[in-house]
Amino acid sequence: MASKVYDAIVIGSGITGGWAAKELSEKGLETLVLEAGRPITPENDYVEHVPVWEKKFRGMNDTRKLDQEQPVQRTCGGLDEWNSKFFVNDRENPYTTPDGKPFLWIRGRQVGGRSITWGRQTYRWSDLDFEANLREGIAVDWPIRYADIAPWYDYVEDFIGVSGQAEGLPQLPDGKFLPPMEFNCAEVIVRDAIARHFPGERRMTMGRCAILTQLHRGRMPCHYCGPCARGCMTRSYFSSLNSTLPAALATGKTTVRPFSVVHSLVFDANTRKLTAVRVIDGQSKQAIEFRANVFFLCASALESARILLNSANPEFPDGLANSSGELGHNLMDHLMGGGARGRIEGNEDKAPLGHRPNGIYVPRFRNVKQKQSFLRGYGFQGGGSREGWQRGANTPGFGADFKQALGRPGPWSMGLYGFGECLPNHGNFIAIDKGKVDAWGIPTLHITAQWRENERALLQDMAVTASEMLEAAGAKDIDSFVEDNAPGLTIHEMGTARMGRDPKTSVLNAHNQAHDVQNLFVTDGACMASSSCVNPSLTYMALTARACDYAVQQMKRGEL
Amino acid sequence: MERREVLKLLAGAASLPFLSPEAFSLFQAMHAQPGKNPALQALNPHQNATVIALSDRIIPSTKTPGAKAAKVNQFIDVIVADWYDEEEKESFLAGLAEVDARSQKLFGKDFVQLAPAQQDKLLTVMDGELADLYHPPAGYRKDRVNLLENNFFFRMKALTLTGYYTSQVGFEQELHESIIPPRHAGCAPVGEGAPGE
Repeated sequence: MASKVYDAIVIGSGITGGWAAKELSEKGLETLVLEAGRPITPENDYVEHVPVWEKKFRGMNDTRKLDQEQPVQRTCGGLDEWNSKFFVNDRENPYTTPDGKPFLWIRGRQVGGRSITWGRQTYRWSDLDFEANLREGIAVDWPIRYADIAPWYDYVEDFIGVSGQAEGLPQLPDGKFLPPMEFNCAEVIVRDAIARHFPGERRMTMGRCAILTQLHRGRMPCHYCGPCARGCMTRSYFSSLNSTLPAALATGKTTVRPFSVVHSLVFDANTRKLTAVRVIDGQSKQAIEFRANVFFLCASALESARILLNSANPEFPDGLANSSGELGHNLMDHLMGGGARGRIEGNEDKAPLGHRPNGIYVPRFRNVKQKQSFLRGYGFQGGGSREGWQRGANTPGFGADFKQALGRPGPWSMGLYGFGECLPNHGNFIAIDKGKVDAWGIPTLHITAQWRENERALLQDMAVTASEMLEAAGAKDIDSFVEDNAPGLTIHEMGTARMGRDPKTSVLNAHNQAHDVQNLFVTDGACMASSSCVNPSLTYMALTARACDYAVQQMKRGEL
Repeated sequence: MERREVLKLLAGAASLPFLSPEAFSLFQAMHAQPGKNPALQALNPHQNATVIALSDRIIPSTKTPGAKAAKVNQFIDVIVADWYDEEEKESFLAGLAEVDARSQKLFGKDFVQLAPAQQDKLLTVMDGELADLYHPPAGYRKDRVNLLENNFFFRMKALTLTGYYTSQVGFEQELHESIIPPRHAGCAPVGEGAPGE
């Protein structure tokens, strides 16, 4: 069958796939986007304004159905009775883990991918992050530095719209910000106390997030309804569906094909290039091939590595582009679960109005100026709020007075929740489980990952420093915690096809191009050589735009 | 059950000599007019009346409607039927029966037949039994959460609050919430908007 040859194929339509589609098609390439899941129509599928009383379980979730169909996905705090449809069916998408070493793989298969439900926190890396592996002799050195990516951070932020406050901190570079969102009363107290008690060391700023606080490139500012992860009719937060995919489609050069479950990539041993993608149609389950000149893997860290592992051939018996033996290894996720909460007295006559879909941020302060007994660091997210009617279940009383009390807001409280850096480790890895296939007959993953000593030390330290800051703010009833979350739950999985300078020890070069296969680019979280402690999506987007620019330049020179 | 599955069931039933009672009641539930009371699935009429009475003493009608007007009983019926597992369901229904047993012992009548003041006396006793769990003393019991969650009155109170404040009545009339707020402010005067975040 003679089939059309596209200029480019992008696998995945989420955070990075949307960017690849936009950049490649705007640069003139005829681009096919393959998405494993179904199409999403905002008019029908977005449900952020559906009232709670229209939900059968009033927000308490259809637990029986979740137990049956989404036992893994339901562990994600972002899944709710409205948006569970934006998370995969675990029965159709199985994977395995060793006994006693759980890994929670939270996924979204639909046009837009997980960009529909992501946390929207948007932070730049700094050279503290890019130089860390080299400085400490861990894993491999990043082949790029902040100066290489900074113009691409500018470029991406300008397009997606990021609200935030400039702080002038070297470890958390400022970006091109729209006005920041507002602090509430409890946050102002804690922010000011941190500034007084930890000058030059710790600081609290407003969360930097990909949510518009003013009209931006035709998209409306946030109207503070709250539940972004159910969709957004006004397209006020960034998702590929709200932003990059419409831009890609506007070029007239992009085709998005949903229900296209990628099985593997076809490698031509003579030209040493990829020629096609093998797809299983999600509905008919028939096998189809799509041909192109250049291929961008943007399917998420684990799915992209899975596709490469499933593309093993005589040239690459251990997985495509895996001459280094590092493909599938060095899996990281951010650690969560350490922090503290406390009650903040006063301001009883004030309450937040509207539902700010964003929190505060305390940038990393460990191992910035003073060395600690552990490596790297963490930042805090969180925020202040007043308790609502939910407190009634744990409060004595009933009747008219009880009702009247619950109709007013409860005490102010403040929570600080750490997000810590995970070190790359060869022993955290994925492999193909040949005996087990998914609903489309594609071999699945066996995921082996665990937290180690440094991660545990960070988690403990989070509880200590969060308590210190709340104490400094005069908080009462401080409750510090260290929760043992399984890796994966932070949904920042990365590292399974890392970038590096040496083809012997890394899968991708400084432009996200496979060392072994010239026309293959991997620009999602798989490419990361370390994890930093900040939310990674902005960096994935910047690396994607940068890789697209490089690929098109190479094509124009006839070198691709 | 999903709408699609119901339709499939009904399509299958059409070829049968008669429509099964289960399929028929599902069909009715699917086509229930808004405002019409759906048929109860877990609670019998007496249990339902007890739930209504209990919920309406926990959140009574004041200047705003209470739990009965907000049809909290219908929400609780759904939870008992389709959310609780068998053990929780049995325990909840046994808890309801226990309320009558205690009411009989104190006043010689079932709970629904008591005067509101008598009902409140029994509720005071049941709520008082939770005092230690509401206010855990120093070195509080590790089994607190478990004890709370297995206590009938705790469950009944928690479900009443959820059912009430997530109803349209509770959300709009009692909390003055709106899905799209008039504006955003970090620290607005209480009363301008809704409580909490």
